Amino acid sequence: MPDVKMLNVTKTFDKGRIVAVDHVDLFVHDKEYLTLLGPSGCGKTTTLRMVAGLVEPDEGEIYIGEGRVSGLPPEDRDIGYVFQQYALFPHMDVWDNVTYGPLVKGWNEKKSEGIGREMLELVRLYERTDAFPRELSGGMQQRIALARALAAGAKLLLLDEPLGALDAKIRNELRYELRKLVKDLELTAIHVTHDQGEAMAISDRIAVMRKGKILQVGTPQELYMKPQHLFVAHFIGESNFLEGYVSKVTKKETVIELRGGLMVRTLDKTHKEDDKVVIAVRPEVLTIEKGKKEGVNSLFGQVEKFRFEGTNTRCEIRFENGDSAVVVRPALMTEWLDVGEKVTVSFPVEKSFVFPYPKRGLREELTLE
Amino acid sequence: MNKGIHGIDRKKLIAKIAVFATLASLFIFVFLPSFFLISFTFTKWPDVYTEVFANPFIGDTNWIEIQKHLALSLRLAFFAVMLDLLFGIPLAYLLARKKFWGKGFLEDLITFTLVIPTSGFGFATVLTWTTTSGLGYLIGRGIVDIDFLIPLINVPFMMLIVHIALTFPYIVRTLQAKLEDLEPVFEQASRTLGAFPLTTFRKIVFPLTLPAIFSGGVLAFARSLGETGATMVVSSIYTTAPIAVIRWVSQFKFGSASFLGCLLIVVASAVILPVEFVLQKRGGPTFRFFSIRRIEKKILKTEKFVSRRLSRIKDVISLIFILLIVILPIIIVLNSVALSWSHDPDTGRVEGSVLYQLFGPSNYFASLLKATMVSFASAFVATYVATCIAIPTVFLIERHRLGRFIRSMLRIPLIVPTSALGLSILLLWGPGGLKLVNPGVWLIVLTHIVFSVPVVVEPIIATFEGSEIPMFEGAARTLGATPYNTMETISLPLLKRGILTGFILSFTRSLGETGATFLVMGSDVTIPPLVVNMVEALAIPAALFASTYLIALSFVLLLVFRMVTKR
Repeated sequence: MPDVKMLNVTKTFDKGRIVAVDHVDLFVHDKEYLTLLGPSGCGKTTTLRMVAGLVEPDEGEIYIGEGRVSGLPPEDRDIGYVFQQYALFPHMDVWDNVTYGPLVKGWNEKKSEGIGREMLELVRLYERTDAFPRELSGGMQQRIALARALAAGAKLLLLDEPLGALDAKIRNELRYELRKLVKDLELTAIHVTHDQGEAMAISDRIAVMRKGKILQVGTPQELYMKPQHLFVAHFIGESNFLEGYVSKVTKKETVIELRGGLMVRTLDKTHKEDDKVVIAVRPEVLTIEKGKKEGVNSLFGQVEKFRFEGTNTRCEIRFENGDSAVVVRPALMTEWLDVGEKVTVSFPVEKSFVFPYPKRGLREELTLE
Repeated sequence: MNKGIHGIDRKKLIAKIAVFATLASLFIFVFLPSFFLISFTFTKWPDVYTEVFANPFIGDTNWIEIQKHLALSLRLAFFAVMLDLLFGIPLAYLLARKKFWGKGFLEDLITFTLVIPTSGFGFATVLTWTTTSGLGYLIGRGIVDIDFLIPLINVPFMMLIVHIALTFPYIVRTLQAKLEDLEPVFEQASRTLGAFPLTTFRKIVFPLTLPAIFSGGVLAFARSLGETGATMVVSSIYTTAPIAVIRWVSQFKFGSASFLGCLLIVVASAVILPVEFVLQKRGGPTFRFFSIRRIEKKILKTEKFVSRRLSRIKDVISLIFILLIVILPIIIVLNSVALSWSHDPDTGRVEGSVLYQLFGPSNYFASLLKATMVSFASAFVATYVATCIAIPTVFLIERHRLGRFIRSMLRIPLIVPTSALGLSILLLWGPGGLKLVNPGVWLIVLTHIVFSVPVVVEPIIATFEGSEIPMFEGAARTLGATPYNTMETISLPLLKRGILTGFILSFTRSLGETGATFLVMGSDVTIPPLVVNMVEALAIPAALFASTYLIALSFVLLLVFRMVTKR
């Protein structure tokens, strides 16, 4: 039963000067599809490589199933690993690549041939067994790499940006194929990516990482609906951020004063009066009306940019107090707005998130570096 | 309009002249001397035949000798390369894949045996293994006798040790470079699929680096086949083919010498060129015969055991190997010089001291000083001329349709044993042939140019191919630069590092060359032959000092080399 447990795992490089992974705790359930999501350099690949044994942690313990694997070489961990650049052995044909695992594990011929054939059929490339990697397209190579990792018989599949090197269209096709395969074979999968769309589409749960730390772990819906961290609200989906102070806390709601004395009501319960806070509101929950209309959470402003993007329209509004926000609406349901037009933007009380104002500033907190 | 057409014509003419001049200088200075020995032997065949096969007094004794010397040289080169591979592959792997304290120093040591003039190093090795100043100190007598012949393979022990020390860097350096280029991702993939480190090496790393292992092996083989300086010092009663060539020339037995020289060239080409040719093809050979299942399982089991139990041991063995064949000889020479600086350490006599021999009646210091002047002058001039020929040659190789052909032709001067080359030069330009140049500095220069051109060309080509010069040149041309401008402002500055590396490699090679220099130097003795002469004259303290001097010199060169090649 390959569940994976990481306890207090830390990894530094360059004699401790670079902290790649910083005291990470993570639990991956058996047969779960978990994605490590984060901007590049956040430590997600290092985390994956530590599970694989390609990198040894400085501190902390890693368990696969019941067994502690710290110190075990990769070949003893019984894992399948798919690399971003495929890493198909260039001097072997497809068949030799796929049956490499069974061969080096010393399985008998019948068994390895059976599993090789099964896996190649699974990725629908059985007819290309004689081809060499360089003769195949990127998508095919990645499917072979997947078949090769699966053929070694592991129940834990580790995927390091497996779709990263592919064209957008193939990437979208392959992500569903990948999830289906993992579910059909009842595998546990840990998938690393920086593409939030991919993570949302493919995962049971997502762990959002930044600067070596895991900020939040949850289902795609949870992360989208209830981000517990400013960065998560920013990185998963899109958010408008408005700075302000808590002006009044009542039993029912918290009133926040934005710059210029604008008042906004929220259902937040975590802050007290005079706290400096940031409100995050998704562009797609904002509604927009022409003219100046009074109401709850209604802010007045001027259209600065208006763009038609196919499915949606995207409108940038500058409020009276100088703050700005993006409003995204389905194109078919939106009136055409002109730049400079006066509008009212509003959002429901329950559809905003309130975070404490970050110590090092908002811009710094949201940076992807 | 007319002017425009004229302009194009003139440019074309200049280009043609440049190509012609490059080809002509390549032919005269490089290819002609390499092949002249063969044509000489053919044109003088009746004389050669009489001397070698049908001597009125001794019959075919010379032919029997030739076979004997050639066989020894080939056996020596073969076993040296085999042992190079045995120790060199793990060492290259260690250097390419692991980070550890002292790695830079280890790499320097490996480069060191490439730059050291070999006769000095040969002497250090003799001291280490056959005397009580060396390892013999531990047991009260030399570890081996200088003429100890290894049973079964019939190779003199001292020669084998010295040849390994001087040739293993070729394998380590080529393989290390290839391994550093090879993404570790293939090895990691293999490990995650369940293969042990040794299995990964056999099935993934080895096949992917085989071309590099082969070309390193080829260079090592060629170097061993032609090595003269150190071999003469350790030779004792044995004679390799290059030594025989030198000996026979000094006895005016030109027929036998040139016939043996020819054979050396032919054998070297026959062994090396086919391998090169196979390697030129993409991918190189793949081996499938390992895939037999039943044996496979046994191999896997052994590999598992070795990977588990002995993984550290191979690193330790590599380090002991370096210690024994490179570090120890250096330390022992330095120690011996210190001990016998003012008097003989055993007898206490002043006559046996370094100082007495250097400044006493035999005044070796003066000869050493003079030899240094000759060595530096000839190495500098030869390298300078070679660089001037090499730079246009690189462009010819990269741009001209004859390029590939020229490149493979340039392998030949590298594999021609230098004593055969020296003889060839002597018979071509010297008193035996055109009588243009007498033995001395200028004949040394002409000889050294032959092998210096390919030595300089190689790093420049590597830089050229690694730096996307065509792209930058294209960019410069679109910005309005003329071809000449482009060359001056873009190509040459980008090639600077390669040119410098080539210059230094060639300079050190020229400085250390012994085999050919022996034949062409006349009275202008360079340092390496001087050391050989000192050893043969049993002026041991002087030889000690000269060896120390060469080692110090090599360290300086090494430092310069490092400064140039470090990024």
